Amino acid sequence: MKNVTKRYPGADIDALSGIDLTIEAHSFVSVLGRSGSGKTTLLNLIGGLDGRYDGAVEVDGRDLRSLGDADLSDLRNRIVGHVFQAYHLLDHLTCRENVSVAALFARGQRRRSSSWVRRRADEVLETVGLGGAGRRRPSTLSGGERQRVALARSLFHRPSILLCDEPTGNLDVETGREIVELLSALQRSDNMTVIAATHDEAIAAAGARVLWLRDGRFVDQGGGGE
Amino acid sequence: MIGRGWVRTVIADLVRHWRHFAAASVGIVLGIAALTFFLALGLGVRDLLLVQVFPADHLEVAPKSTDIDLFALRLDLGRDALDGAALADLASIEGIDAVYPKMRLTVPALASGGSSLIGAGLQTEIVADGIDPRLVAEEVGGAFREVDVDRMGTPCSSDQECGDSSYCDGSRSFTGGSCRPYIPVLVSPYVVELYNSAFRRSYGLPKINPDSLMGLTFEMDFGASTFRPSAHATIRERMRLAGISEKAIPLGVTLPLGEVRRLNMALDSPEAGEQYHSAVIQLRSKDAAPQVIDSMEAIGLEVRDRSARRAALAIAVIMVGLAIVGTVLMAVAAAHIMHVFYLVVMVRRREIGLLRAVGARRRDVRTLLVLEAAAVGLVAGILGLVVAVAAGTAADAFAASRVPAFPFKPDSFFAFSPWLLVAAFVLAIVACVFGALPPAFRAASGDPSEALAGR
Repeated sequence: MKNVTKRYPGADIDALSGIDLTIEAHSFVSVLGRSGSGKTTLLNLIGGLDGRYDGAVEVDGRDLRSLGDADLSDLRNRIVGHVFQAYHLLDHLTCRENVSVAALFARGQRRRSSSWVRRRADEVLETVGLGGAGRRRPSTLSGGERQRVALARSLFHRPSILLCDEPTGNLDVETGREIVELLSALQRSDNMTVIAATHDEAIAAAGARVLWLRDGRFVDQGGGGE
Repeated sequence: MIGRGWVRTVIADLVRHWRHFAAASVGIVLGIAALTFFLALGLGVRDLLLVQVFPADHLEVAPKSTDIDLFALRLDLGRDALDGAALADLASIEGIDAVYPKMRLTVPALASGGSSLIGAGLQTEIVADGIDPRLVAEEVGGAFREVDVDRMGTPCSSDQECGDSSYCDGSRSFTGGSCRPYIPVLVSPYVVELYNSAFRRSYGLPKINPDSLMGLTFEMDFGASTFRPSAHATIRERMRLAGISEKAIPLGVTLPLGEVRRLNMALDSPEAGEQYHSAVIQLRSKDAAPQVIDSMEAIGLEVRDRSARRAALAIAVIMVGLAIVGTVLMAVAAAHIMHVFYLVVMVRRREIGLLRAVGARRRDVRTLLVLEAAAVGLVAGILGLVVAVAAGTAADAFAASRVPAFPFKPDSFFAFSPWLLVAAFVLAIVACVFGALPPAFRAASGDPSEALAGR
């Protein structure tokens, strides 16, 4: 990110102000900050969910602003995985269907048969410890299980970057610790880049690098920032 | 390409939001039902009028008359005949499939006979015209056809030797008779009606069954008259009734065109065999009647049957009016769909944001919503057609049981033609898709982060 500033319409202050940041590939980075410090905005910009900002954001060597809707969607579909604090699971779908929803929008050679999609969905559910829950509805699961389903959804297409926004925010301490351990294990096993935003210092400690964000500015980049 | 996953997603969305979509489809169901009902009624009444009351797929046209009344006389200052060039002009008009000229017999004639049918011989002055047998081929079959009366037939001594369609004519040979064909004739149903309702009462004659008239033979003396003696020779022919047709001259007999031409040339003048007093045109489509009438008037012709013309114009106006009403109804229904889809999009804002976050393009979101709208239109279209046909059936049942019988009362007042049903069905889908387009574009606009945050 180069000199990135983001201000929401009608807001008096910047959500992010003049951010410069480089994150190494295959690293686990925690973004620590209080509510309203700009963590979610930072992840949204990196993940291509928000295209209205000043400055430049490059992901995997590509300037996001230069990408059209199709390429940006492809990036979200193939390269970046999102885990949201509110899970954003679709209650009318089964866990398996939730996990594989991104397959609907795969294009070209990445379009897969329904049997492949089903197998892959079951595989990632197994990875997050929910093997056998494929036919259950999210509404029948606990908060921790729902977050695991959301995590499985983000892993479906084997993303190289995983963006986790308060992944333990709605969970109890024990369940939160399990999720963080799972993220760490996945980062190591799949060699992904994981960026996790949290307000919990204990959770943030799981990251090899911790970025402190306050009022839209970095106050400490853990020695890895620019 | 839309895969099975998309179909499942659309169906799942429809099931999940069925209340919204049911509310959205009410307008389309009612709109399509009303549109189909009224257009089918319009088409049914049009068919009733143009096919049965005024058979406007065939129109009789004649030179436009310019009559001036002068004391007891009416002077005709316009043309009173059509020649070959006028017929060619007529045939070139767009919307006319065929032209059948009609020629009036230009000499007087006497008809005599009928004793075999009513027990007493009758003789009467009679007028006649000639028509192309093809004009009535479907109606009366092959019995009404051109015949060659001048050709010498096989020798005979009695009618029985010549079969049904010929008789033994002894007038053309000194050595004996030869078989000669009867000239087939048509009469109008009005002639039979006039006889049964009035003529027979005056003369104490029996009522006759129209079917029993088929094959009736009688003689006609062409050129002869009881009013004044003929200056020329007369020609006697034997006639045989070949059918009863609305296309026959109302009071008189109708002969094959070739026979009238031959008689006019023999008894009047060569020119009389080339002049036609009118022509029957066959329209390519009943809908084309107003335009064809306009084109004919432009070349100095007019439709004999003014009622048909008025009916065709009135129906055209009514159909246009119904189409406008239907269009307004569908526009309102599409607006209703748009309103409901805006609501659906608002309710599903976070869901749409999630789909964008996992890789849906703006186009994918629009496609998803348009597919859902098309599915709503498909179901609403079918329901609308079912309601329309059911309402039409109920209306027909009501008319059959409660409305008193009247001339030309049909079994059904509605014409649910396949093209109408298909068009209404397609219109339902199109209206839904068009109604859903603005909300679909709205849903696809903006960034996924805004939708996920519910902004």
